[in-house]
Amino acid sequence: MSFRYTMIGAAVCIFIFYLGLILSLFYFVGGKGFWEALSHPYTLFSIRLSLTAATIATFFAVLIGLPSAYALSRFKFRGKGILDTFLEIPMILSPIALGAAFLVFFNTPLGELIQTKGIFFVFEVPGIVLAQFATIAGLTTRLMKASLDEISPRYEAVARSLGSSPWQTFYRVTLPLSFRGLLASVILSWAKAFGEFGATVTLAGAMPGKTETMPIAIFTALASANIDKAIVLILILVAFGLFILYGVRLTGKRFRYD
Amino acid sequence: MIKIQDLTILFESFKILNLDIQIEEGGFHFLLGPTGSGKTLVLESIMGLRKPKSGRIWIGDKEVQDVPPELRGISYVPQDLALFPHLKVKENILFGIRARNLDMKTFEEYVQALVGVMKIDPLLERYPAHLSAGEKKRVALLRALAPKPKLLLLDEPLSGLDPSIKIDIQRLLKNLHSSFHPTTLCVTHDFEEVYFLGDEITIFIDGKVEQVGKRDDVFLKPKSKKVAQFLGARNLFRAKILRNEELSQRLILGVDGLEFSIPSSLYQKKMEVGKEVDLFIRPEEVMILREGKFVKDSLKQNMFEGKILDIAGKERYQTVYFQATPGNILFEISIPNYAFRNLSLSTGKKVSIALREESLWVMS
Repeated sequence: MSFRYTMIGAAVCIFIFYLGLILSLFYFVGGKGFWEALSHPYTLFSIRLSLTAATIATFFAVLIGLPSAYALSRFKFRGKGILDTFLEIPMILSPIALGAAFLVFFNTPLGELIQTKGIFFVFEVPGIVLAQFATIAGLTTRLMKASLDEISPRYEAVARSLGSSPWQTFYRVTLPLSFRGLLASVILSWAKAFGEFGATVTLAGAMPGKTETMPIAIFTALASANIDKAIVLILILVAFGLFILYGVRLTGKRFRYD
Repeated sequence: MIKIQDLTILFESFKILNLDIQIEEGGFHFLLGPTGSGKTLVLESIMGLRKPKSGRIWIGDKEVQDVPPELRGISYVPQDLALFPHLKVKENILFGIRARNLDMKTFEEYVQALVGVMKIDPLLERYPAHLSAGEKKRVALLRALAPKPKLLLLDEPLSGLDPSIKIDIQRLLKNLHSSFHPTTLCVTHDFEEVYFLGDEITIFIDGKVEQVGKRDDVFLKPKSKKVAQFLGARNLFRAKILRNEELSQRLILGVDGLEFSIPSSLYQKKMEVGKEVDLFIRPEEVMILREGKFVKDSLKQNMFEGKILDIAGKERYQTVYFQATPGNILFEISIPNYAFRNLSLSTGKKVSIALREESLWVMS
């Protein structure tokens, strides 16, 4: 077999593997239970909760991730290496371990103070946002840094020389030039938060109608042998996922200046 | 006037020590040095993007070494031009005026004049991605000049261009400079650029200033062998001062059996008999004498016989390799094509050469 066909064959195999997995779901679609599960208030609640929590978590991740990414991409400073390594903690640490670490933290005096005087996180909705934020903040920063690294600092140097302050340069030059990569980073981070399970279930629990996000709802549906509900939720997740990937590709085509 | 005093930059393996540059209002100054000598670091420090270890920088009357880049009144054209790809040519050009909150109406006429000189009118609504290399250079220059900077910094402005476009841009730069007189500091390693455009040159090698001066002075009279070698000098010989003829006020230098005569008045430094010096003879200043032609007395002082060893053709001139007798000194001689044809030169032919006094330069 030629080199070319071997390589393409490998790619097609992966495609068939995932496509088969998705298509197999339709084997159970169409039953009475399926439509009931789709319109059940708890299902709709999970969808709403997942969308809201993922959006808020992504917002905070971008808020802290973008300046962090810029700092890591452009400046040299002491401790940069350590900081950079710590960004990968959520990637190497199991999400359940991350959630467990939060539970431990909220049992320390500082954690208890935050909970009593501030916001309650454990087994509450803010806990979902916190768990998702913790999972994606490092990833968001890493993805955004990669986007900013692609933009030559020469553009900024020229903008500064022409009279732009550092903030104006960031707003007028760096942001528009890296917009495509940054938007893709935001979308991918949101997708990761949307599908987050381990840290969320550990910190916020799995209470239907309260802290049950879509991935948690899939797990509880399977645990209680409610296959229809599980499939509904999986299909919605797949639909969102494909929609997001399409969005990423679309932004890839727009905002290209080369 | 632009004044850079005692600028010291330490960056990784680069060490630039006590750099002094002075540029008159409206001057075109070149910082000429080999690739990797730290020229761009100097520009970045002047611009304020890199903090020098020490030194002072004046732009006009203002001391700016502690002033942020956006307030220095400098425009910078990097080697890769860095035209903003998300902005149209027109927006690129107006970027500096808008960023400095300058009154657009005041600049309108001036920018229009620049657009006219640079023939950019048809490009204004295009994005940089749709411009040719030459058009990009023109737009980058216009963008830099539009806010009327007090100092224009150019980093290798003619690099990466096809020869024909390079000549066009070179002419355009000269035209722009003579029309609008921006005070300009340009770093390059390209002698041709310097020769065509420069008023003054700072030769910068291994982080040190080796020579500063008017263009012709630097090219014709390099201060040291290092500078001469960097400038690609041919006919660089180690010579010994044989005698000082006080009556005729001439120094006689010996190189491998040949004697060269130079007026001692040209050299203020004491040239002691027996001292070893470097003798530099510019290849384009060596005359190949036509047989039977009258030779002026002044030329007879430095006339040598020998034969042509080799001839190498270039685009606009020929390089003739001439071996003098006695001795084995090999001269490289550059002559224009038309002169070469008139002399009917060929390899192995015996000819005489003569050197004008001005073509001999001694470095102690």
